[in-house]
Amino acid sequence: MRGRSGAALGALGLAFVLLEWVLPHALNPYYLTILTRIGVAIVAAVSLQLVSGFTGQFSIGHAGFMAVGAYASAALSVYLGAGWLASLAAVVPAPLARALYYPLPLLAGGALAAGAGLLVGIPTLRLRGDYLAIATLGFGEIIRVLILNVDAVGGARGFALTAASGVDLRYDDLGAIYAVVLASVAVIARLAYSSAGLAFRAVREDEIAAESIGVPTTRVKVLAFVVSSFFAGVAGAVFAHSEGYIHTNSFGFVRSFEIMVFVVLGGLGSITGAVLAATALTAAPELLRGFGELRMIVYSLGLIAVMILRPQGLLGARELDPARWLARWRERRAAA
Amino acid sequence: MPLLELEGVTLRFGGLRAVSELDWQVERGAVAALIGPNGAGKTTAFNLVTGVYPPSEGSVRFDGREIGGAPPHRIAGLGVARTFQNIRLFRGLSALENVVAALAAAHRPGLAEVLRAPGWQAREHALVARARELLGRLGLERYAEARADALPYGEQRRLEIARALATAPKLLLLDEPAAGMNPAEKDELRDLVARLRGDFGLTIVLIDHDVRFVMGLCERITVLDHGEKIAEGAPEAVRSDPRVIEAYLGVDVPA
Amino acid sequence: MENLLQQLVNGVAWGSIYALVALGYTMVYGVLKLINFAHGEVYMVGAMTGFYTARALGLANRPSGLGLAATLLAAMATCAALGATIERVAYRPLRHAPRLAPLITAIGVSLLLQNTGQLVLGADPKFFPPLLASHEMLRVGSLAVSNIQLTVLATALALMAGLELVVMRTRVGRAMRAVSQDAPAAALMGVPVDRIIQLTFVLGSALAGAAGILVGLSNPKIDPLMGLMPGLKAFVAAVLGGIGSIPGAMVGGLLLGVVETLVAGYLSSTYRDAIAFVILIAILLYRPTGLFGSAQPEKV
Repeated sequence: MRGRSGAALGALGLAFVLLEWVLPHALNPYYLTILTRIGVAIVAAVSLQLVSGFTGQFSIGHAGFMAVGAYASAALSVYLGAGWLASLAAVVPAPLARALYYPLPLLAGGALAAGAGLLVGIPTLRLRGDYLAIATLGFGEIIRVLILNVDAVGGARGFALTAASGVDLRYDDLGAIYAVVLASVAVIARLAYSSAGLAFRAVREDEIAAESIGVPTTRVKVLAFVVSSFFAGVAGAVFAHSEGYIHTNSFGFVRSFEIMVFVVLGGLGSITGAVLAATALTAAPELLRGFGELRMIVYSLGLIAVMILRPQGLLGARELDPARWLARWRERRAAA
Repeated sequence: MPLLELEGVTLRFGGLRAVSELDWQVERGAVAALIGPNGAGKTTAFNLVTGVYPPSEGSVRFDGREIGGAPPHRIAGLGVARTFQNIRLFRGLSALENVVAALAAAHRPGLAEVLRAPGWQAREHALVARARELLGRLGLERYAEARADALPYGEQRRLEIARALATAPKLLLLDEPAAGMNPAEKDELRDLVARLRGDFGLTIVLIDHDVRFVMGLCERITVLDHGEKIAEGAPEAVRSDPRVIEAYLGVDVPA
Repeated sequence: MENLLQQLVNGVAWGSIYALVALGYTMVYGVLKLINFAHGEVYMVGAMTGFYTARALGLANRPSGLGLAATLLAAMATCAALGATIERVAYRPLRHAPRLAPLITAIGVSLLLQNTGQLVLGADPKFFPPLLASHEMLRVGSLAVSNIQLTVLATALALMAGLELVVMRTRVGRAMRAVSQDAPAAALMGVPVDRIIQLTFVLGSALAGAAGILVGLSNPKIDPLMGLMPGLKAFVAAVLGGIGSIPGAMVGGLLLGVVETLVAGYLSSTYRDAIAFVILIAILLYRPTGLFGSAQPEKV
């Protein structure tokens, strides 16, 4: 299908050009911030989708792993990053140096978050259903409180991404951010939609049957949990570097609930659904600004209404698949 | 050496003995049955073999190897497959996906899935082809893309068998495979099970309530009652065993 | 030693408030297997109702037992109605939907109540008028127990005893227990399941409303987000006691209150909030069914 990949690549290239060079000059910074927040929300939602939608393990402590990623990456940048950037800037032009440096705190944040995921996952994944959800909620809060008590990353004052030397480690390059978003979504989609990846859904559908066909259910659950925590950490790291300042208040159970809402509203088991829901719900409160004080009330009423009218979420467990639309359109044309 | 050997196996739930001092062997290539009234411990025996419960006492040996208490997925990997009394298909997945999941179960998702090298893609296609072939052999090819829970009842039972076969087992345990079927369907199933042994080189053990179904199919029948073995042997011998008749009191055992 | 006793008294007072709220969580979970995340906000609405009632009745400078009783009743009635409405509108339509759907509507309701509260209360902080003149009731050495603490304890115990009576000694209570054990079977036996569920919400929400008033006696500050943390902690208390078990919720609440107060008093108050979650994790890892719960193994 050469034509199809060609078209897809072209679209991606266009999107990158837009994000990197056109929008930053065309839109005012407020909207750019929203676009960044949407990117973070997408990665957070899709990573949660892997463990909750695909593997059926309901985790409502996701923000805790975002916090680990945010703070770990921020600490790396603040304490070591300035030095590394300086070394890089000696050999390549400054913007390129920043772009080359950027993956490092992201990977560090993701790795530490994955580690936290392993620590949390191993004891809690023995639990079923509601108990697992509650345990993850608890761990999310514990992580937050622990970070709050670490002075080296600001504690109750919050943590700014400025090195002691005064260098600002902030990085909100839209093109880079969305490249990360795309890579994250692609990795998760490839893991989930493969024959080996059927193991995730087998665990969701029926653990006992899954074991009976040789799926090591606990290991699969832990894997899903660790991968999802990794990308939550990446989302947190992107957030930290784009905002330039973080506080544990942004990573409480309210945030965990928000992300879970993205996943359920988009449809449990649908990656495109999670992307759509994350985008719409992150943009919504901003778009609802016209309602003034009633903004959040309208938002919550809307949430309730949507869930009652469509409990399986926007896309249910299916994906938005342009290839399928194309095939159906062709069929209809042929029949006509 | 028998393929499956239980020796002195006891399973206790609190004060209740679900299975008591069970000695049971199944020879390679046999088609055997485990029967008994409700609550006799038949499914529990299957659960002990497949690792769902660890035995409280005694040993379970498969192909010479002790498997009592081993995790179910490892036992499945050694070559024990099963179906369930209440169908346990992956209902939200298609029939094809149910079988592919079993074929791919040993491989954990990882870097290969992310990178998708040409070799990997070839292997994926081969897996799907093998799954389709299996579905075909059980007469399910037209349901390949359908959701598992959309299949008619008899086809769902066959799909569970197809999925079990996908793990290339040596021993196949069928728990009430004929439940809920009408006589015509049962005859078809009986023919299918008889063919499976030859086509797939299997040893098969059945649990079923329908004594006539079992009689025509199995060479050796073991009878449980209240967790204990009360009779064992060829079908005719078991059928006329007074202890068996007493255990099934009220059930009309056909002559 | 006296300090320890003092802490215990404080802890028990706090614990009884947690217990009242925990009962709502546990009862709803018992009949619906649903974690009612909006419950903390019902408690907040109770406090708000009390605030406006006290103002309307002009109780600001005339603390009295009667005034307290009136406020208590008003709050309990309002919250009962609120609970019934939430059940009817946000949960009943989703009775047969996937498990997570009512969880999401619960969050939606929670957000709705918080933001409506913010709208109604306004930006400046509001304070409960003293509904009871505070004075010392009991003194043993340097251990002081105020009448407020005794009132909180007595009211909470009375309400819990009342609930226990309803659940264990009445037909309606028996119906509630039947529904929580096996709803379809109860329906077949002629139990009006929908109405029993509604009643469960009514009772649980009334208790939460009462808790909202009782907390106001010693902690007069009211804010629309006051339900978040206590709500979560009461939930932990319910899990600690065994979610679905009524005596469990009572014991869990009291235990949590005591442990929390002791930790805050002897270790550090910054860890006060975290303690609830540490207990939660410990319980889930070592005894997930809680102190009074019973395991439900899956039949293979």
